[in-house]
Amino acid sequence: MPHAMPLDEVLMILALSSYAVGALVLVVYFFSREDWLRNFGATLAVAGCAAQFAQLAARYAETHVWPLLNLYGSLSLFAAMSVAIFIGFAFRYRLWFAGGFVLAIAAIFLAYGVTWNEGVMPAVPSLQSYWAKIHVPLVVSAYAAFLVSFVFSVLYLVKYYAERRYARRDVPSVAPSAPAALRDAPALAAAAQSGDAVATWFATLPSLAQLDILVYRAIAVGLPLLTLGVITGAAWAHEAWGAYWQWDPKETAALASWILYAAYMHLHTRNAWRGLRSSWWSVLGFVSIIFCYLGVNIWISGLHSYKV
Amino acid sequence: MARAQSLRDVTLRLNQDSLWQRFLRTFGNVPFGVSLLALWGLLTLIGVVVAQGQAPDAYFAGYPAPIARAILRMNFDDIYHSVWYLASIALVLVSMTTATFTKVIPRRLPPYRPVKVDAIPLHANLTVKGDPASVRERVEAFFVKRGFTVRRRDFEGSEWSFADRFNWARIGVLVNHLAILIIAAGTILYWARGFSGQTAILTGEAAQIPQTHDIIHLDAFSYAIQPIITKSGMVYQPIDYVSRVTVTRRDGVPTPMVVRVNHPIDLDGTLLYQASYGFGMRFALTHDGKSVPALTDRTMMEGEALQIPGTSRSVVYERFVPTIDRRTGMPSADPRITDPAVVLTVADAGSAIGSVLVPLHAGIDLGNGWRIVPVRDVVYSGFQYRYDPGVPLVAVGAGLLLVGLVISFYFLPARLFVRVDPGTGGFSTVGLAATTVKGYDIFETQFHELVSHLESEVP
Ligand code: HEM
Repeated sequence: MPHAMPLDEVLMILALSSYAVGALVLVVYFFSREDWLRNFGATLAVAGCAAQFAQLAARYAETHVWPLLNLYGSLSLFAAMSVAIFIGFAFRYRLWFAGGFVLAIAAIFLAYGVTWNEGVMPAVPSLQSYWAKIHVPLVVSAYAAFLVSFVFSVLYLVKYYAERRYARRDVPSVAPSAPAALRDAPALAAAAQSGDAVATWFATLPSLAQLDILVYRAIAVGLPLLTLGVITGAAWAHEAWGAYWQWDPKETAALASWILYAAYMHLHTRNAWRGLRSSWWSVLGFVSIIFCYLGVNIWISGLHSYKV
Repeated sequence: MARAQSLRDVTLRLNQDSLWQRFLRTFGNVPFGVSLLALWGLLTLIGVVVAQGQAPDAYFAGYPAPIARAILRMNFDDIYHSVWYLASIALVLVSMTTATFTKVIPRRLPPYRPVKVDAIPLHANLTVKGDPASVRERVEAFFVKRGFTVRRRDFEGSEWSFADRFNWARIGVLVNHLAILIIAAGTILYWARGFSGQTAILTGEAAQIPQTHDIIHLDAFSYAIQPIITKSGMVYQPIDYVSRVTVTRRDGVPTPMVVRVNHPIDLDGTLLYQASYGFGMRFALTHDGKSVPALTDRTMMEGEALQIPGTSRSVVYERFVPTIDRRTGMPSADPRITDPAVVLTVADAGSAIGSVLVPLHAGIDLGNGWRIVPVRDVVYSGFQYRYDPGVPLVAVGAGLLLVGLVISFYFLPARLFVRVDPGTGGFSTVGLAATTVKGYDIFETQFHELVSHLESEVP
C-alpha cells in the first residue's frame, strides 16, 4: 500500500504553491492591471493563507504540541500572518497590486522555514507555558505587519525616486487634470499627460502621500502587536526565569526595533520628515526586525535560540 | 548700590529665563527627542552585537586589540548598566516629559470658527434638495448617527456646524508618555528596594537567602528527559524539572513546598524559581593506598579545584558526564545517567597538564602516591530568587502603554466644518471640510467615504 502523505504536508505544499503562483500572477498584475489577474491572484493568496492556518491546526491536532515554538513553526506563522495582514489591507484600501511582493517574500520565508522542519518535539520545560502560546504569535504577527509596512515603504521610495528622475528631465508644471495618484508627483503627472508609458503606469499606484499613510497604518498594526509581544514575553520570563527583563540578545534586539518604530511614529508627526525620510526609517526598522528575528538566532546565542 | 543689586537680579533672572526657555525648546523638540531615541536604540543594539559580561580576555580573543580595549574602556561589555545607557534613558525621559508639557498638552484641534472650505485640502461641496435649515438638520443627524458630536455656532449671522470625532483621544499620547514614566518608576523601585540572586543546593543540603534569612532545604530533585528521533538525529529533550524543598522562614516552622519550572513559590513577596540543575561529585582520595577522609567527606561542584596536600598538583572537577559512549570512549549526548563519568583536569603549579575522562569508581594516579576516584554523583538544583516591588508598577505601565498606543493609532481626533447655504431651484449647497490632529492625508480615505455616504443618505 502506498504511504499516504500526512495532511499537514499536503496543506503545506498547497500553501507554498498558492503563494508561488499567486506571487507570479500578482506581479504580472502589478504591471498590466488586468482585473482577472487580480481576482486570480487574490484567490490564491486567500487560499494559501487558509491552507497555512489549516496546516498549523492540523499539526497541532495531530501532535498536541504547540506548533510555533521552533523556527519552522514560527516562520510558517510569519508567512501566514504577513499574507493575512496584507489581505486585510488589500481589501480595505484596494492594494492588490502590491500583493505579488508580499506573497513572494512570504513564500521565500515559508520555504526557508520548511528546511528547519525537525519533526515533532515537545517543548523544553521553560517553554511549556501558556504565555509562550500567545507571546510567539503576537511577536510574529508584529514582524508580519512590519513586512507589509516595508513593502509599502519600498513602493513609496520607488515612486519618489521615479518622480525625482522625471523632474530632472524637464521642469514640471502641475497638470490640473492629472490623476489624483500623481497630484504630489508633478513631473510624473506631466510626463503621463504627454503619453509616457512608465509615468502613466505610476498613476496606478496610490499617491505618495497615500503610500506614506499606508506605511504608517501598517506600523500602527505592528507597533502595538510588538509592544504586546514584548509585554507577554516579559510576563513569561517573569514566570519562567524569575526576572521580566534579562537583557537576553533576543529581547534586547526586539527592544531596539521597538525603539526604532517608536521613533518612526514621532518622525511621522513632522511634515518635514514625513514621506521620504520616514519611509527610509521604516526600511531600517524592517532590517532591524529581520536581524532580531533571524540574525540573532544565526549569529548570537541566548535564551531565545530556536535550536534544541 | 541697591539699584545695582536689583539690576543684577533682573539680569540674572532674564538669563535664567532664557536658559530655561532654551532648555524647554531643545528638550521639547521632537527631532531632538527622536535623536535621543535613536541613540538609545543604537546603544541597545551594541549590547546585542557585543557579547555582554565576558572576561576581558574573551574580547581580546574576539576583536582586534584596539576595538577590544575600546569595548572595555567604554564599558560596552556591560553596556546596559553603563553610564551611557542610563544617561540615554534619562535624557529620553526628560525630553519626553518636556515635550508632553510644551507640545502634547497644548495641542488642540483648530477652534470653532468659520473657514474657507475650498482652501482646506480635504473638502467637498454637495448640492442637497431642501431648504438650508432642513438640510442642516439632516446633515447633522447623519454625523450624529456616525458617532460625531455636533455643535452649532453662529458667527455674525453665518451659521456653522462642527462635527467632532474622538476628541477625547488626544489623551492617547499623554497616556503613552505617562506609561513610559511609570515603567521607569517601577524599574527604579527595583534598583532601590529589590534584590535578586541565585543559589545551587545539593540534595540533602540547605542554603539561606541572605536578605530574608529564609532557609531552603533541598529534599529531592527530579527531572525527566525524553529521547526523540528527529530528522537530524536523536535529541534528548528535558521535559520537566522539579525540586521538593522544605522552607523554614522567620517563624521557624518548616514547610514542604514544590518548585517547578514556570511555577515559582512565593515566600512573603520573594519569589523562588527553578532555574537549573547539575551534578556535584564525591571523590575518594588516597595516599599510598590509605584514604584521606577529610577530603572524602565533601561534595565538589563542577569547576571546583582540589589542591593535593604537600604537592604542587591540583585537580579540577570540570564536569559531569552522564553517559560515556563506549564505542568512542567519549562523552555521549545522552543526558540520562547510565554510564557516568567525570572530566578531570590535572594541573601542576597552576598550568594544566591534561584532561581525562574518568568513569565512576575508576581512578587516576596523580603522582607521589596520590590517587583520586570519583565515587558518587549528587544532583543539585539551581534556584533563582527575586524580590521586585516594582513589578506592579511596571505591569500597570505596560498596560497603559498598550492602551495609549491603541488610542493614538485607532482613534483619530477629527473635526468637520459644515456650512449650508441656500442654492437654486429648491436645493441647498453643503460645504464640508475636515481636519485632524495628524494632518489631512491620514483622513483622506475616511473623508471620501463619509462624503459618498452623505451623498447617498442625504440626497
Ligand atoms: C524622546 C522622547 C519623546 C519625545 C520628545 C516625545 C514627544 C512626542 C510628541 C511631541 C508627540 C506629539 C506629536 C504630535 O502629535 O505632533 C508624541 C506623540 C507620541 N508619542 Fe512621544 N515622545 C517621546 C517618547 C515616546 C516614547 C518612548 C513613546 C513610547 C511608545 C512615545 C509614544 C508616543 C505616541 C504613541 C505618540 C502618538 C504618535 C501618533 O499618534 O502618531 N513617545 N510624542
